[in-house]
Amino acid sequence: MEVIEKVFLCKVSELAENQVKKIDNAEFGDIAVYNLGGRYYATADLCTHATASLAEGDIEDDLITCPVHWGQFHIPTGKAQGFPCEIDLRTYPVEIEGDEIFALIEADPALIAKG
Amino acid sequence: MGNIIKTLDVTDSLTGLKDVCDLENGRIAGKIFYDQEIYEQELEKVFARCWLFVAHESQIPKTGDYITTSMGEDEVIVIRQKSGGIKVFLNACPHRGNKVCFAESGSTRGFICNYHGWSFNVEGNLVGQHESGVYEDSNFDKSKWGLKEVAQVDSYKGLVFATFDANAPSLKEYLGPIAWYMDALFDNQEGGTEFVGGCIRSTYECNWKIAAENFVGDILHAGWTHDSAARAMLGGSVAKVSDFEESYSVNWNGHGYEFALDTVGNVAVLGESALNKYLHTIKPSVAERLGDFRSNMIGSVSSCTIFPNFSFLPGQNTVRIWQPRGPNKMELFTWVVVNKSAPEEVKEKWRKGAMMTFSPTGVFEMDDGENWEYCTKTAKGRVTAQQDLFVGLGMDTLLTDTPLPANVYEGQLNEANSRAFYQYWYDMLNSRSWNEVPNRNVGKQEAE
Amino acid sequence: MTALYDELRPVSVEQHYRVSHFLNYEYRLLDDERFDDWLGLMHEEVHYWMPGIENRRRENLLEHGFYAADHMAFFDDGLRDLGRRVARFKQPSAWAENPATRNVHQLTNVEVYYGENDGEYVVHSTFQSVRSRGLDEEYVIYGRRQDLIVQDGESFKIKKRLILIPNATLTCKNINTFL
Repeated sequence: MEVIEKVFLCKVSELAENQVKKIDNAEFGDIAVYNLGGRYYATADLCTHATASLAEGDIEDDLITCPVHWGQFHIPTGKAQGFPCEIDLRTYPVEIEGDEIFALIEADPALIAKG
Repeated sequence: MGNIIKTLDVTDSLTGLKDVCDLENGRIAGKIFYDQEIYEQELEKVFARCWLFVAHESQIPKTGDYITTSMGEDEVIVIRQKSGGIKVFLNACPHRGNKVCFAESGSTRGFICNYHGWSFNVEGNLVGQHESGVYEDSNFDKSKWGLKEVAQVDSYKGLVFATFDANAPSLKEYLGPIAWYMDALFDNQEGGTEFVGGCIRSTYECNWKIAAENFVGDILHAGWTHDSAARAMLGGSVAKVSDFEESYSVNWNGHGYEFALDTVGNVAVLGESALNKYLHTIKPSVAERLGDFRSNMIGSVSSCTIFPNFSFLPGQNTVRIWQPRGPNKMELFTWVVVNKSAPEEVKEKWRKGAMMTFSPTGVFEMDDGENWEYCTKTAKGRVTAQQDLFVGLGMDTLLTDTPLPANVYEGQLNEANSRAFYQYWYDMLNSRSWNEVPNRNVGKQEAE
Repeated sequence: MTALYDELRPVSVEQHYRVSHFLNYEYRLLDDERFDDWLGLMHEEVHYWMPGIENRRRENLLEHGFYAADHMAFFDDGLRDLGRRVARFKQPSAWAENPATRNVHQLTNVEVYYGENDGEYVVHSTFQSVRSRGLDEEYVIYGRRQDLIVQDGESFKIKKRLILIPNATLTCKNINTFL
């Protein structure tokens, strides 16, 4: 049986629209949390192409652009958009409780992206 | 925080420059157009210190838009920032110096060096490297290794200038009251100007100063050198400049602007009545904006050089940089400038007209090329290079009782601007710092 | 940028010879400074275009790759414009033309296809122009051309010419000839 961990990311009030924030997490790897027009998403923060923090990149519509080589991922699905990014980004379901945003992470060691 | 370039150590000035540049006695010598040592001093004392034109704002409107160009022999990237400002970086990776941007213009999110994958964002910050983990293990401080920024960037009426020298006076101070005259072309209508797309680059085997000087104050040559072009475009010879009742040569800090007040003498050579008509149509609004005097300059027989190597012709609306590529070689960058508010057909006629007249295929420019190359080539002769060359026309034509700003000389058939250009050049080469550069300006800072 | 072989029909051997011969003759006129005769080969609606070449990244190309119709150009002429250039060459006061420039124009890689309309031909070719002035000046300009030639009685007229050089920086100070 899978174990789902509910990981606190940040408060709703701390993430303005069209912003992305990096949440440090040694256990599961750093997480990027996004506010796209009032809808919240979470992905691994580490780019699948090279060592880079996606939270330092720019949001363009519903894509996140990595700041180092400008590869893009679709935020809701994590899908890599093409050269140089070929491996899809891990995404996490998001739950809002009151003012707090949580990511639901499967605690499977094989799936952890190391930060 | 930017990584500003290191300022250069100043080397000793050459002795003996007085032998080849003696403006008080109205003479120079060809050696200044051919000598390698003098050229090296220019790179250090002129091009590494003065304000140099790098771009027009209209070429880089959006964040990430860039052009590449050179300041002297240093290649630079000029790129629009998210903040709306403009940054100018050396086009050399701070790792091993590889060129980071190979295109002449474009739009980008940043630059990645082809060698070791150092990635820089639009602000010039180093944001990643290939095998970045290795750098982290070596306590590498990324913030110290971004692209190197030039010391100062500023713009005047859409014209972007930059300097390598943190001690250079402000652009405003550097341009002085010549800016008042520049407005006749660059600020005669609401909305200002823009460059036509693209840039024509060509190569000349001449010393950059000969071309810069030609534009600073040499309308004298037009009637003779360009007779054939005038006959081809106008069916008759060039307007007889000596017939103009009122004309001036004004200069300041080596910049020079010579002009008549005939409104359309320059634009007329493009042979497009629509352009003459356009200038006549806007003239009343220009008079309201800049005054009657400058409204007569918008396309008149005129030319200007901003020291050291940025020039333009109002009327033909051609804009150029004479890029130094050795003592007897230069690269010419040519653009066309138009009012943003001009109708599309008018802009198109200027694009084509400037190409017909002042470009490598231009009927006027073709005759200039030979003159400039051979003024340089004869200086190859050791004996020839040291002979006196006359630059003494109009020695006593300074006007002291005039409401006009800058140093004002009577008449545009005059070598006053040439002398002022070479004098400032001489002063820069002989000064170890800006403080040492003599202020030879005698005119007014502001128009009355 | 240029139409592929598959999209155009090549002309017969004989027609290829006639068109090539015409274009070689055009070049000999230029080598001989016979500018008026050269002008006579232009169609009255001629568009003679040599755009400026801009060094751009692949992801940032202009309208036609390295060039655009509304950007700076070397030639962007109609018949009147070409006539004015010829007028300057003929002036005794064209100081830079005396002594004369010695020209050698070469044409190669000629491909001739039927154009859209009867009597029209699309011609792809490459060229090299060598000029020498004075004792030791020598300039070489080379490039690709795309012409639209139209039948004119027994001969032809040049209706469109697109000249593309590979250089973003022209390696000489002027182009005092036609290409």
